[in-house]
Amino acid sequence: MLTRIKSEITLWRVIVAIIFVTGMYATFLRFFEGFRASTNLSDQMPWGLWVGLGTLCGIGLSAAGFGISAAVYLLGMERYRPILRASILISFLGYMTVCVGYLYEIGLPWRFWHPIVMWNHTSVLFDVCVCIMTYTAVLTFEFAPAVIEKLPWRQFRETVLQYHHKILIGVVLAGVLLSSMHQSYLGGLYLIARGKVHPLWYSQYMHAMFYLSAIPAGLALTVMAIYLSMRSLNVRVDFGILSGGGRMIQLLLIVYAFFRVLDLAANQAWGYAFQRTSEAGYFWLEMLLFLAIPIFLLSYEHVRSNPERLYWACAVVVAGFMANRLNVSINALQTAMGAHYVPKWTELASSVMVIAAGVMAFRYAVIYLDILPKATSQPRSRWISNGGLPAQA
Amino acid sequence: MARRKAMLIDIKLCIGCLSCETACKQLHRFSPDSEPTLSDTAFTVVETRGDKFVRKICMHCEDPACASACPVGAIGKSALGPVLYNADKCIGCRYCMLACPYSVPRYQWSKLAPYVKKCDLCSERIKAGGQPACTEACPAQASVFGDRDELIAEAWDRIRADSSYVPHIYGVEEAGGSCVLFVSDVPFEKLGFKPAPTGNQPMPTLTASALGDSPKVVIMGGTILSALYWVTQRRREVALAEAEEKATINRIKEERS
Repeated sequence: MLTRIKSEITLWRVIVAIIFVTGMYATFLRFFEGFRASTNLSDQMPWGLWVGLGTLCGIGLSAAGFGISAAVYLLGMERYRPILRASILISFLGYMTVCVGYLYEIGLPWRFWHPIVMWNHTSVLFDVCVCIMTYTAVLTFEFAPAVIEKLPWRQFRETVLQYHHKILIGVVLAGVLLSSMHQSYLGGLYLIARGKVHPLWYSQYMHAMFYLSAIPAGLALTVMAIYLSMRSLNVRVDFGILSGGGRMIQLLLIVYAFFRVLDLAANQAWGYAFQRTSEAGYFWLEMLLFLAIPIFLLSYEHVRSNPERLYWACAVVVAGFMANRLNVSINALQTAMGAHYVPKWTELASSVMVIAAGVMAFRYAVIYLDILPKATSQPRSRWISNGGLPAQA
Repeated sequence: MARRKAMLIDIKLCIGCLSCETACKQLHRFSPDSEPTLSDTAFTVVETRGDKFVRKICMHCEDPACASACPVGAIGKSALGPVLYNADKCIGCRYCMLACPYSVPRYQWSKLAPYVKKCDLCSERIKAGGQPACTEACPAQASVFGDRDELIAEAWDRIRADSSYVPHIYGVEEAGGSCVLFVSDVPFEKLGFKPAPTGNQPMPTLTASALGDSPKVVIMGGTILSALYWVTQRRREVALAEAEEKATINRIKEERS
């Protein structure tokens, strides 16, 4: 008995347990002790890690859902159908973590519904709220068949899926537009903070920059998630798709880099990059991680065509993207706001717990639902292409 | 329509007696201790800059960034002039604090049901025909209250009568203008006044163009995506029809042979 229990205790289970225990305690502090006890936020730094990591990274890294669904449903790129459900699931869970995080962020969480009935159309944040709520509904709709098809009632299943299919294209189209809007509006949030956001990040086209950077980052996270699923969850995807995804990520990063460089020049901000300030340091870190290293790595065939190397290249993209969002939301503001903000452990612990819950939900969904094509043969063959045929997802 | 009210703060005349701070704290029943910066229990403070005293207070902008940024419309500009906060609508997102170019709004970080706190220009008192507690308490005519256009005229009179004044009234045009005005005998930038980030344009213009573009983007994007979808469908149909045709021809050929 004891040895059985012992064998159940693995390193990852211990880590998950630690994440949830600390996260629950941080949650308790947030809701029963307040901001002072659970955050290092201040009047000088009203938005911190929850916004930077939870919302900006959470939404940005969930951008693959609309990208892949647009590619498959609207542009007829059937090649990507096998990873369609996985990307929609990642987006759906990503938005769920943001919705939960929203309750931590706002001071009066029981009023979370106010933006639905109290409108202020001049507010970028209002538009973000409404878009995120609507798009979460869209994602729920797009993901629903994966759950509905597992229900035991045949008649019900068929009727629902039939109606679902009829309106699907319209919903996908609305979803693409909604996503495009709020992915960019997240950057638009900082437009009004001119004079507070450091010139290396402030631009009147911040919203466009956010939009352009979110899509490659979302794709990179999807590639990572699918790689991990294939490694540990007995699913099989034609690696050619992921390899093609790597090329796509590189292309999108080059486009983003082009506009970012141009935008900095147009704002005459390049001078700030060569000053001896912490902002310049953060800027170069972001440039290296998000643009220079990934574009360099992904230009090599033997990186794109090797699962593990592709995984690490995508990991660098995701890290660089997070550096960008944290720079905008925290590092770019500190000097002008006269603040010195380092997140409290509780902020990090609660965010990590919510993200961990999303990751676990993804894992169980892949195991119990038809998210990715299941491998029928021995796990060794999981990288072998199935001839490029669209697998049944 | 009610006449727009305003407050004129004369940095030359201010003696730094803190009467305004104390009066404000008394009115709101806060602890009377002076605080170094604005807080949720200090809606105005007197800061020392060299040998000068500068009041910090909500500027009550004509076109406020906070009001435009608030997602639920909890902040609004009233006809008399004050920028007012409606605590019943607030969700506590603190976007107003990020948006304010003067970094004025404060938050009750220690409370379990925290609200935003800032000066309301004693809205209730001025509605009843009175004046704010701080201007009433000022013994030096350094903070005076009145109609906005009359105060601007008065400020110009003070500037003209005394050549030591800087010939500029801060707040008439900055960020689209505000209902708190400053005159000074020391250049404003030396007193920590930052030029407004938008010059004389109201702050909400910063987001207006991005938001104004969205209907166009949605219509254009929707049209393009629909067109692409139509093309995709059409190609699929054509491919299907062609395959069928080929199959029929093959069948006929087979039958003949």
